[in-house]
Amino acid sequence: MDTEHAREILKLRAICLRFGKAEVLRGVDLSVAQGEVVVIIGGSGSGKTSLLRCINLLNTPSSGSIVIDSETLFDVDRNGTDRAGLKSAQIDRIRAQTGMVFQQFNLFPHMTALQNVMEAPVTVKRQNKQDVEKQARELLGQMGLEQHVDKRPAQLSGGQQQRVAIARALAMEPKVMLFDEPTSALDPELVGEVLKAMVALARSGMTMVVVTHELGFALEIADRVIFIDQGLIAADGPPQQVLLHPEHLRLKQFVGRFHETADLLRPFLEGKARHHELRSME
Amino acid sequence: MTFDFTVVTANAHLLWQRFLITLYYTVITIAAGLLIGLVIGLIQLSPFRPLVWLGRVYVEFFRNIPLLVIVLWTYYALPIFLGVNITKGWAGFLALSFYVGSFYAEILRAGVQSIDPGQTDASTALGMSYGQRMRRIILPQAFRRMVPPLAGQSIIQMKNTTLLSMITVPDLLYQGSYISSFTSPPMEIYTAIGLIFVIILVPLTLLSRKLEKAGLVAK
Repeated sequence: MDTEHAREILKLRAICLRFGKAEVLRGVDLSVAQGEVVVIIGGSGSGKTSLLRCINLLNTPSSGSIVIDSETLFDVDRNGTDRAGLKSAQIDRIRAQTGMVFQQFNLFPHMTALQNVMEAPVTVKRQNKQDVEKQARELLGQMGLEQHVDKRPAQLSGGQQQRVAIARALAMEPKVMLFDEPTSALDPELVGEVLKAMVALARSGMTMVVVTHELGFALEIADRVIFIDQGLIAADGPPQQVLLHPEHLRLKQFVGRFHETADLLRPFLEGKARHHELRSME
Repeated sequence: MTFDFTVVTANAHLLWQRFLITLYYTVITIAAGLLIGLVIGLIQLSPFRPLVWLGRVYVEFFRNIPLLVIVLWTYYALPIFLGVNITKGWAGFLALSFYVGSFYAEILRAGVQSIDPGQTDASTALGMSYGQRMRRIILPQAFRRMVPPLAGQSIIQMKNTTLLSMITVPDLLYQGSYISSFTSPPMEIYTAIGLIFVIILVPLTLLSRKLEKAGLVAK
């Protein structure tokens, strides 16, 4: 993939994040080019979700800089001096250029699916309601939800809710989509429909940063996989290299569990399951 | 002992007028209290520490002083501090409004804080400002949860207006004690006043229960 010449959509420099005494992120650099799909993996408590939430300042880093499509969103040096000096209205405007999808969907329960998708373009961008509704119906249609536009979140399955959430984020026409473990709260049989929507989105050229445990998704669709460990980027490379030929010790342990599951499945996938069954019956 | 309610029926017209005064103070102090509660509740939710403390001081002050003391102090002591005359009507209005406002503020604060932080995350990520988030996402959800406690506090407020009789505001109770001062014994008139409150407030309580259930369904 020709990413060298593509526009840089996202640029994080030396991001540090502290919660009280705990150092969650200890100087993370990350650049994402237009159209690139970056998957972030890591154990629980590694800082991967915190890093994602720093990108749109849902978490405010203690220092570092964030540039979104050559606009500075955040720039605080090690002494805590704010070099960007943005007003909250400016932050809101730049932040709106990123879309986010959450583990718990976080749909607005007092609105229908359609109203959820229409809310931000109407309230934030003050776009014409009729135009927004047309676009929202289109987006929900792309997500395979045309029959559910007038339902409240409580009437929808988890997979449907998450697809509404993706449509809601897309309605703001973001330059980059951030996914925070979008399938972790779903029943196993609903994971597929959300991953399918994300694959379609990636293939359409959307720039994406995805925190996930779905390593199969990473292998299939990611341009780059980043492994975060103890608040630092410990590995960064093409998915084949990072996931199938890990060098870093903790990364080896991390993907090892994935390989073990795959090994358990292999006999079944290769049609040897019958032998196993027969042997266990003897 | 026998009850003779002729004293009540004979004064029915007077009692009706005084009941309207009770209702009047109930309505205007609830309205003003809601406004105060909204302001104090919101400043307690603001990111500015000094404002939060100011709100807390207000709430703790009015919640921890007996209402009767507030009413008497506003009527007898406040004019001396301010050097102006305050009518008993204004004193009663101010005391009751500020008092119930502190309870409404707490209901608002608790209601907003009970909303899942994920709602703030999602609306923030969409680029909504603090005001937009509050107005469009957080408050509409919080108000639904606040209906039952607001109704409960407002019912208490109607009963609390009887304290106005202590500063001679001619409400229902004041008229009752006035009538009973030259008819003896006083049991019929106070029984009747108690019954009037029951007749008004029991249906309101039932209505608030219904709203509560409707609110649960709407979620």
